[in-house]
Amino acid sequence: MSEPAKKQDNIITLDDLRPRQKERSYLADYVMPARHPNILFDPRKCIGCGTCEMVCSKRNRSVIAPASSSIKVLRDEAKGKNFAIYCQHCRKPLCIEACPTRAIEKDENGIVSINKLFCVECGLCTLACPESAPLRDSKTGEINKCDLCGGDPLCVKHCPEKALTLTRGKFFRWIKFARWTVQAASFLLLVMIFVGTFCFFKAGQVSFACPTGMLQNIAASKTIVLATLSATLALIVLTILLGRVFCGWICPFGFVLDVVGTLIPKKIGWPKFLKSRLTKYGVLGGAVGASAVLGFQSFCVVCPIGALCRSYGAQGFVKGAGVAVVPLLASTEIAQRRAWCRYFCPVGAVLALLTKLGLLKIVIGATNCKKFSCTQCAEVCPMGIIDRDLLRQGISPKIPMSECIMCMRCIDRCPYGAAKLRFRWQKGVPGIPGETRI
Amino acid sequence: MESTEQAVDRVKREAGIYACVECGRCSAVCPMAEMYTTFSVAMSPRGVIKKAIMGDDLIHDVNLWYCTECNAGTDVCPQGVSCRDLVRGLREIAVKNGLGDKAQICPRCGERFVAVPVEEFVLSRLAAEAPDVHELLKVCPACRRDLYVTRNA
Repeated sequence: MSEPAKKQDNIITLDDLRPRQKERSYLADYVMPARHPNILFDPRKCIGCGTCEMVCSKRNRSVIAPASSSIKVLRDEAKGKNFAIYCQHCRKPLCIEACPTRAIEKDENGIVSINKLFCVECGLCTLACPESAPLRDSKTGEINKCDLCGGDPLCVKHCPEKALTLTRGKFFRWIKFARWTVQAASFLLLVMIFVGTFCFFKAGQVSFACPTGMLQNIAASKTIVLATLSATLALIVLTILLGRVFCGWICPFGFVLDVVGTLIPKKIGWPKFLKSRLTKYGVLGGAVGASAVLGFQSFCVVCPIGALCRSYGAQGFVKGAGVAVVPLLASTEIAQRRAWCRYFCPVGAVLALLTKLGLLKIVIGATNCKKFSCTQCAEVCPMGIIDRDLLRQGISPKIPMSECIMCMRCIDRCPYGAAKLRFRWQKGVPGIPGETRI
Repeated sequence: MESTEQAVDRVKREAGIYACVECGRCSAVCPMAEMYTTFSVAMSPRGVIKKAIMGDDLIHDVNLWYCTECNAGTDVCPQGVSCRDLVRGLREIAVKNGLGDKAQICPRCGERFVAVPVEEFVLSRLAAEAPDVHELLKVCPACRRDLYVTRNA
């Protein structure tokens, strides 16, 4: 366990209080996520009895007085809805930054607590919290905030309807391992074993062809060959059934980008004027148009996916001179994760158009979602389509499936099981009828 | 109906400022010293109490609006003077006299819930957050809880 930064002359700095990480000493610390305790609340089960408030105030002030509890049940008699407001123990707590007396601290177990010795009850934490979870006792003026009772909360124990539950999050993230295996295997298959099978113009006995290449071919030759259509059908059907799994799980260039991105975790940021996801449709249009004019598949010459597929083997570097674009475009990974896929890839553009017919969607936000306090899904999303600012405001973001590459990092990472895979026609998030946003 | 002068007098008496011995403990523990780079004697609770005793016009004073209305000064005062009650009462009178432009108004419920400099301090500490989040933080705590519930219930 790491010691807090050395205190000089008993002065506590903000860095002493900010979330500290446990020192990683075992392999398991790298593989397994840190599992901090947290309380989950299910509004459907809550009957608004206020037992949680009572037991909490008993612990806080040794009296049964809901005013001095650290959990507040808001009751809506007209709609018959109840909701509990309590501290979510944010990963990056805003209250720590705002507290002028540095009384709030997040410890190694992830518990954010107020040090009553330093607290002067100014209430700035209440102003800084997006949920206003630190509650002011109307009788004594004290600020009460949940400290999880040191890891064994009384409110959870006493909740008669089990609306409050204690969780430590997911134990094992297996999707990560599955995806890396599939990506590595398909890289080997597409690049080294079936050399050049992915692309259109190496299609000798194709089972699998690039739809962008097909479009360019049609534009260039102005004839439609039925065999090529059927060859692209595999990818089209796959995309309609499962979304852009090709981009997330199969694409060899995507694998290269992911590897480079893992090796370079620090990003320098992408220039703002190039931040348009519509660019890739323009690239697609340009590629098809140029093919029609020039009479050959112009984009395929510089296509990084094709270059990779053609690069291996006897004729490798000679035929795949375009292989130079691979490191060139992989270097964009320094600026932003999957920048090529986000803004430029015309193959992804075709698949993005196909997902408009897709059957699957990813939904985030249910009773389980911790919104502003967690935002891990927004952090891990390689395409950057999960809006962190919306989560910060307590709103569940809608995920545009045409931009989603189905890598399922969000589903894998979410400790509380709030990110889920659903069919397109299923309304909202399971558990909540209709939309999550009322 | 009491006049403004009477109300100010009542607030001063109820806060017990005439018992002040000017020890300065309230200023020593005041979180404003940590919050504002412009912290001065005039802004400190000791200065404000002194001004109140001398009968200065505090209602029109900007220094009235930096206090967080915390409990620190009241807690340590050996004479039981409540600088919080003084500031709170004077602010109420100032708002009644139409001088409430230094009080933050909640855009949702329209209530004055915090002084503008205090809110500005909180937002400056959270400068890394997006503008949308700042908009949310300008809503009063009760409304914020309400908003969170309507978005998640």
